[in-house]
Amino acid sequence: MAKTLENTRLHEQTLLDSPWITLVWNDPVNLMSYVSYVFRSYFGFSREEADRLMLQVHNDGRAVVATGSREEMERHVEAMHDFGLWATLQKADA
Amino acid sequence: MTPFSKDSDGNLVVGFTPVEVDIIADLAAQIAGMLGDLAGTRDADPLFDSVGIGGSVTIDDDPAIARLLPDAYGGDREASSDFRQLTERSLARRKVANAGIVIASLARAEGTVVLGEQEAQAWLRTLSDIRLTIAARLGIETDGDDGDTGTDAAAALHDLYDWLAFVTESLLDALED
Repeated sequence: MAKTLENTRLHEQTLLDSPWITLVWNDPVNLMSYVSYVFRSYFGFSREEADRLMLQVHNDGRAVVATGSREEMERHVEAMHDFGLWATLQKADA
Repeated sequence: MTPFSKDSDGNLVVGFTPVEVDIIADLAAQIAGMLGDLAGTRDADPLFDSVGIGGSVTIDDDPAIARLLPDAYGGDREASSDFRQLTERSLARRKVANAGIVIASLARAEGTVVLGEQEAQAWLRTLSDIRLTIAARLGIETDGDDGDTGTDAAAALHDLYDWLAFVTESLLDALED
């Protein structure tokens, strides 16, 4: 019994912790080809997916490029800043 | 400039005139200089320094530095501040190190610059950092915005900004060859 309860708690914990997103924001400086390259080389997206997200950033001003734990999203945001892309993280429902 | 190409060993090869070499090395040195304080040993705690923490509490007042080291949390100043204090120094250090790699690769070149894969990555990032800094100085804030165009100095910066876009595009083309 105790074991089941623990597992349930762990599961709930994971659900509560998980919904964070990484957003990449449009900027007038970085080239579209560069943004697509960063999405492919860092996240491992296909060219099609990378171009789709790059165009979403360009047209809508931002795109969600990753979803997961807060720590993971912090790593992604820092990596994007490394490339000179403007990225932030936030809770998915914020 | 002779555009980038990939040689049979996977190196990226480009030809720059001596003037172009000086320009890129100078701009990279300016990036390193601009971020030097933030990458440096501003607080004296050797333990914090050894692990690269001890960053600023708030985003920098200089718009160029603010763009290179932006807030990480959308709409959460406190979380951004906490994260900045932990990560800003190491991020600034990596940017300074990238600029140093660009300068070193130009210094050993005699007309032809040959970059390994890692060096090419440093070049991409430094070219972006330089263009972001020029854009901040010119006040380019939105798509289609030309920023300051009123002076000869601004016009020269615009030319440089566009040429560095060409250099970046050329490097990307060669990387994907």
